[in-house]
Formats: sequence, C-alpha cells, structure tokens
Amino acid sequence: MSEKGFTYIGKSVPRVDSHAKATGEAVFTADLQLPRMLVAKVLRSPYPHARILNIDTTRAKALKGVHAVVTGRDTAGEKWGVFRYTRDQQLLCVDKVRYVGDEVAAVAAVDEETAMEALRLIQVEYEELPAVFDCHSALEPDAPRIHEEFPRNINVAVKIDVGDVESAFKQCALVREDTFVAEEDSYFMTEPYAVVANSHADGSVEVWMPNASPHTKAKALSNALRLPLSKVNVRKVTIGGAFGGRSDVFPAEFITCLLSVRCGRPVKLVYTREENTIATRMGHAMITTIKTGVDKEGRVLARDIVSYLDGGAYSSTGPIATSVPFLCHEQTYRMDNVRFHGYRVYTNKPVRGMIRIHGRSFACGIDTQLDMIAEELGIDPVTIRLRNARRPGESTPTGSYVASCGLVECIEKTAERSDFLKKYSERKPNCGIGMGLNSVQTGFPLGIRGGSQAFVKFHEDGGATVISGVVDNGQGNDNMLVQIAAEELGLPMEDIRLVSADTEVTPTDAGSYSMISTFGGGNAVKRAAADARAQIFEVASEMLEADPDDLVAKNRKIFVRGAPASAIPLEKVVRKALLMGRPIMGRGSFNPDVDQRREWITNPRGQLSQAFSFGATVTEVEVDPETGMVKARKVTCAQDCGFALNPMVVEGQFEGGVAMGGQGGMLGEEHRWHKGHVLNPSLLEYKIPAITDMPEIEPIIVETIDPGGPYGAKEAGMSIAMSAAQAYANAVGNALGVYFNHFPLTPERILAGIENKKPGIRTVFDFEPARVLEVEPRKP
Amino acid sequence: MKKQILSLTVNGEEVERAVLPYATLLEFLREDLGLTGVKEGCGEGACGACTVLVNNVPVRSCITPALEVDGCSVVTVEGLATAEGLHPVQQAFVERGAIQCGFCTPGMILSAKSLLDRNPQPTDEEIKTALAGNFCRCTGYAKILEAVRTAASGQG
Repeated sequence: MSEKGFTYIGKSVPRVDSHAKATGEAVFTADLQLPRMLVAKVLRSPYPHARILNIDTTRAKALKGVHAVVTGRDTAGEKWGVFRYTRDQQLLCVDKVRYVGDEVAAVAAVDEETAMEALRLIQVEYEELPAVFDCHSALEPDAPRIHEEFPRNINVAVKIDVGDVESAFKQCALVREDTFVAEEDSYFMTEPYAVVANSHADGSVEVWMPNASPHTKAKALSNALRLPLSKVNVRKVTIGGAFGGRSDVFPAEFITCLLSVRCGRPVKLVYTREENTIATRMGHAMITTIKTGVDKEGRVLARDIVSYLDGGAYSSTGPIATSVPFLCHEQTYRMDNVRFHGYRVYTNKPVRGMIRIHGRSFACGIDTQLDMIAEELGIDPVTIRLRNARRPGESTPTGSYVASCGLVECIEKTAERSDFLKKYSERKPNCGIGMGLNSVQTGFPLGIRGGSQAFVKFHEDGGATVISGVVDNGQGNDNMLVQIAAEELGLPMEDIRLVSADTEVTPTDAGSYSMISTFGGGNAVKRAAADARAQIFEVASEMLEADPDDLVAKNRKIFVRGAPASAIPLEKVVRKALLMGRPIMGRGSFNPDVDQRREWITNPRGQLSQAFSFGATVTEVEVDPETGMVKARKVTCAQDCGFALNPMVVEGQFEGGVAMGGQGGMLGEEHRWHKGHVLNPSLLEYKIPAITDMPEIEPIIVETIDPGGPYGAKEAGMSIAMSAAQAYANAVGNALGVYFNHFPLTPERILAGIENKKPGIRTVFDFEPARVLEVEPRKP
Repeated sequence: MKKQILSLTVNGEEVERAVLPYATLLEFLREDLGLTGVKEGCGEGACGACTVLVNNVPVRSCITPALEVDGCSVVTVEGLATAEGLHPVQQAFVERGAIQCGFCTPGMILSAKSLLDRNPQPTDEEIKTALAGNFCRCTGYAKILEAVRTAASGQG
C-alpha cells in the first residue's frame, strides 16, 4: 500500500496494453484483414484552387478488378464542420477543389495496383482559379474568395474584451508591442491514417480507424451517409498516436464507408505518409501581435492581442483552434484587462487542426516578450513569472474558476533544480537558459457528448469487465481506466478486462481531445466501480452479517474492516448475487461542471473547464554560432497534474511533450511550400527528433489534488509540451542575447539573428503586425 | 510479372513462397505470412517502424526486396517471445514504460535486441546510435533508453 493508502493507483505499474504492443499482437487499422476485402485509393486535386468542370470515370469503371468508383456526385452533398455554423467541407468535392490534395474521386479494387491504375484512368477537367497561400494575402479586399459565403476569407472571428484595456494601458510604467510568427508544423504520428469499413446486409456499417472520439466519428458518418446513428458502429482498434491530429472527421472514413456500401464488401484505405500529412490535418501557421503594459514591478496591467491563424481550406475545429491559444494564456497569467481578436483565415492549403503545441507564435510570443519586459525593468525571468503567475482560488479573465493550481510550485521547483538564476546571470558565451509557462484545460463544454458513462460487470469467477467509451490514442487511457477500477474494486489489474471505444457497445464519452479522458472518463469508471462495490457489499453484508459500511474490498476478498482473517472470496459474493437474482452491474457517469451556455464566438465567458493543469519548463542550450545548430543540454519540467495515477506514465507524457513541443517543435519542425504544394510531406525531409537529438530530461510531478478529479487527477503532460516550446525559444535567444520572433528556430533564422543583431531590446525580425479587422456579418 | 520462389527462415520456421519480383520484404511478411507486427510508417526507409532482423542485422523491410533475403534468417517481433515468456528486451520495454502508442515498438525492440546481441554492455551513446534510425513520436525516448539499459544489465 502506498503512503496515501492506495493499493493500485499512484504507482508506476506497467500499462495493461504494453504486453500486446511488445509482441506485435496489438492490431492497428492497417493490420486488419477481412474476407473479400477490397483496396481503396483516393484521387486528389493537383491544383490549389480550381473549379471542377467534369469528371469522367467511364474508363476507370471498365478496368478489370475495379468494383466501384465514386465522386462528389455519388454523395448526398452533406458538408462536414465541427459546428453547425462551420460546415464547409464536402467529403468528396462537388464543384470546387480548394487545396492540393482535396479529395476528388475514389476507387475500390481487388488490389493496390489495380486501384492505382484506375485512378490514372479517371479524367477530371478543371478550371484553375487564382489562389492565396498566406493570411495577409488572403485578407486583401481583392483576394480570391475560397468559400463564397466568407468575405475576405475570414473563416472565424473571435473577440474577447475584459476590463478596460485602454485605460489600463495609461496606468502602465512600460508598454511594448511585438509581433511573433510561426510556420506550419505537423503531427507525424507514427501510424499513417487508415480506415477499414465493412457494410452489412442489415444496413449497418462497421468502421475501424485511428480516432480521438469514436462517438463523434459515428455521428458525422451517420449524417454524411444518411444512416441511423445506431447503424454506424465504430470499433475499437489500437491507435498509433494522435496529438490532436485524429480529433476531427476526415473524408477518408466517409469515402471508405461509401465504397463498402456500394460494393457490399469490406474496404481498406491506407494512407501513405504523404497523404497522412496533407489530407488529415496539420498545424496552423500563425501571426500574433502582442501589446503588453506592466507596472514598474513587471505586473501585467493590460494586454491587447491580435492573432491571424492560417486555417487552410476548411474550418475543421476553427472556433476552438482560434480561441485556445488565448485561453491557455489567460489561465497561466493573471490579468484584469485583456483584449483578444483572433481570426482564422482561409487559404488554399491543407486543413489545419489543433496540435500538441497549437499556437506556437502566441505562447512563445507571450513568454519571449515577458523576458524582454523583464530585461527592460531589470527583473529576472523567474521573478517576473512569479509576479504574474496564476494562483488557486482565482478566476480567469473570461470567468473560469481555478480550483487547484500548482503553477508557483512548478516555477520554483524547475528554477531551483536547474539552478536557473545562477546560470542566467553567468551568461556563458553561446549558452542559454530559458523558462516557459503554460496551462491547459481538461475538457470543454461539449453539450450532450461532454460527459462520460461507464459500466462494470462481474464474471462468475470474480473477475470484472469495465465498459467505457474512452479511447486510447497511445497515451495510456486504457490503463488509466483499469488502474482506477482496480483501486475501487480491490481487484488486481490482471482480473479486470476492458471493453472500450466501440460505439455499438460502450456508452458516450467526450473523446480524448481536450485532455478530458482522465477527468471525465476516469471519474465515470470510478463511479461505476464504486457502484459495483456497493452492490457487492450489499450482498456480502448478509453473508458476513455486518453493516455494508464496515466492509473492505481487497485482493479479491471482502472482509469486515479490521478482520481480514474472516474474509470471503469476491467470487463467492458474485455467485451468491447471481443466485439471488441481483447480478452485480455497476453504473457510473460524470458530467464536468462547466457552463454549457459558454460558446466560442457568441458567448466566450463562463466556466470553460472544471480543472486546469499548469506547467513550467526550463531548457538549457548551447548554440553553435558558425552553423546555427542548437544542442539542448538539459530540460527540467514540472507539471501540476493534480494527482499522478501512474507516475511512470505521467513522466512519459512529460518527456514526449518535451520532444515534440520543445526539441522538434521549436528547433526545426516546419513545412516548406511552393504554390500550395507541401515540399516536405514525408519523414525524409520533415525532421522529427531522433533519440540522438534528445537532451537529458528531469520530470517533476507536482500534485495539488483537484477537488473534482478522480483521486485529484487532472491531465498529464500537455502543459509541458506547450511550455517546453516557450522554454526552448527563450533559451536560444538567451544564448545569443537576442529575442527571436520567427519560429521554429531553424539554423537559418538563428544565423540571421546573429547577423542582424541590433542594439536595444527588440525582436530579431520585423513583421507586418496582425491588426483588428472589420468583419462583415456573414450572409445566410 | 512472373512470381519467383523465395526460400528463407522466418522466426525459426522454414518458409517457401512464390513472390512478385518487386514485392518488398515488408509486403511479404505482412501480407503473405500475416506477420503484422512489422509496421509500415513511411514506405521509404525513413522511420524504422518496419525494422526486422536479417541474419541478426536490423534491416528496413519496406525498402528491401523480398527476394534479396533468399536463404536468410529473418526475425520479426513475433519471433522474440518464447513459451517461457517475453524476451528480456520486450520485458524491459513493458516494465519501464517505454511503450506508448506502440507503433514504433516492434522495430525499436528489434534494433535494441540486435545491439545487445552484438554488444551486451553498451554505453548510452552506443544505445542512442543503434536506435537513431527508429523514430518514436510519443515517448521522447527517455524511457526507451532506460529500458535498453535495464535489458543490458539483466534486470529486466
């Protein structure tokens, strides 16, 4: 038993899914093999913007081995969008293509070679249209309009205005404005996207695919295929990473289902690495102009921020993506007066979604500018952060109460363990140290799909099965559910089986995006297991002639507290319950305490999330001034995760966050372009960190025991991924005595920073700022 | 194109199959033999997910023609565990939390096994060099390094 009195939770136990993953037994989507299965391939637009005049599929259909060819004409014309008001993406293009890679047609054939040959035989007539590839050009009044109903290509406009920003600026001892730019980054989860669909004679269809919310996928597919929701069965499958890139709905699953329905046979579509990059999601490019005013101690009195997000061709999670960088920031730092204008802008580029370090230019901009202000005022980076850091019991500017917050402890611990102030003042040539802070949510108001439910059933041998809608993308959610159930039921983890993420069987869950799985799904399973335990105690109390309140469940036994010697086996209680006609069936549900009236655009105020995680990262680097290459020496990171249900898993999330957010995200990950074509869609040209790139990482777990979380747990690791990017940015700048404002920090930009070094506290590059836009009301 | 006969040993068993001359080792193992523990992450030899051992040397099966390994001994992740249990490298990966999504795991484990077979007591630098061609997007590699150290010290 651990010091906190727990048997299974709070311990670094191996994950329940790791054995099957170590032996190759774990089945990913592309591994599925069904009888008579066909292979699907997708024909994509070669143009960034063009009208489709005609599609001739006659020759493709006539090819031997081809079973179906579909185009936009074969669809019901339904458009996908996360919100009713952002439905802008035809799942197979009907009239127009809007980026290089947009889905135009698809085939199902007996094998890959035949499917590829069929694609070659499809003739598409296009009329090329002028295209735009960046926010400033897309916003020009005479820019080509990508979606007719969106003037100036403004897809989403978010406005938040709290306090009196203008008056507050007048009270400030120092005001500065800087502009920060970040280019597009990508997920590069190791598993390329894949879908298997199997339609049945009863009108139902089974679908397997990597996903971050089986229930959301099923709902979208039911709309697009015009099938009852209860006939779209998204099945559980092992998922090879997500990082935000599996949250949305893609044409791939719709196309595969459509082909399967057409052929009456199972169909498999496996994306190439390039397709995974271009035709699922990538990260937004972003321009952020930040004006900050502080008092002479460096406390932020007012902030005014304008962001342009390059959203690509379609909305995706648009309103959320536009808001989240601001929301993370308002959770992290105290401010009474703050204004934010966020614009997501359409361009003729692939569709952008939320990524692990979504909003690099925003978060890194805030922390870089904070260091600039600190230098102007003669304050060190740690002190200025401590003066502005969020404390528990406070509310964010948009009205979220923060019940638990260990941000100050995170700052203090990372600063102390890294010996920050000493290293910062020593200033060794080309060596730098930097700190970043961030905070993330545990879920958003998501209406009827915002909560989670679970069941626990018992087998005759005393083993249990947990049934939950929570999906595991690789972060360890399956294990989290089992570990929690084990604790509540007093059963070893190996006695508990899990059935999850299957929309036919498992109840609703919010999905693994927005970091809610532990908080929502974990709480639901905890309650279901507690309910089952209460039923067990009810039956056992009769057998033991004791009050149910005096009973203990431990190690497959039930006994009266203090009398383990007279324990009865759990198996016996379960069988007795069956005999009595009272089978043990635990039921639990959890709905987070959020303000369901909160809306991203029309009402951005109220409780956003029930709990927030907070993190601080310190990075130490050495820069080679000849080559512009950066060697990260050491990363010290601390996150308030509420309670570490499994410290080894939590550390793994921190370490992964450092790799993707800091090492990769800040030192090199970026897409390069030529007229809407991605020049580096594959792993040969887009460099993600290898083991040889990684610095030593010291993870520090901070626990604040959130009052709403399961055993106090919140989420594990996202605040580190975000703050790591900020820490890397500041460390590299610190090494060279400059302030970078163009991310990621590639060798070219670092060398430019050295060459363009100018006196004064200023950013390296001059960019056109993002300014407030007049937004015309949308035509209905 | 006409198929040709490929004879080899896979996970200790002798196998003889007719394969297309342009079939990759990855396709042969996954599609003909059903060894789906061999993963395709990029199809161009960049990510290392498809790593298998050919005569105990790590090879990227996605860019290796199947016929090239005629007469060789091939080991995939399915060939490591025995009736007694997991291979020490597998065991260490499980116990040290070196596995998250698991897609890179088979290739990573095989690269690590090959290293330890050649060099039972590697330094951290030697471990990193041996695994430099296997990308992992989840773990940040810290727990993977720890797992290989554990397997090397025989404490797995």
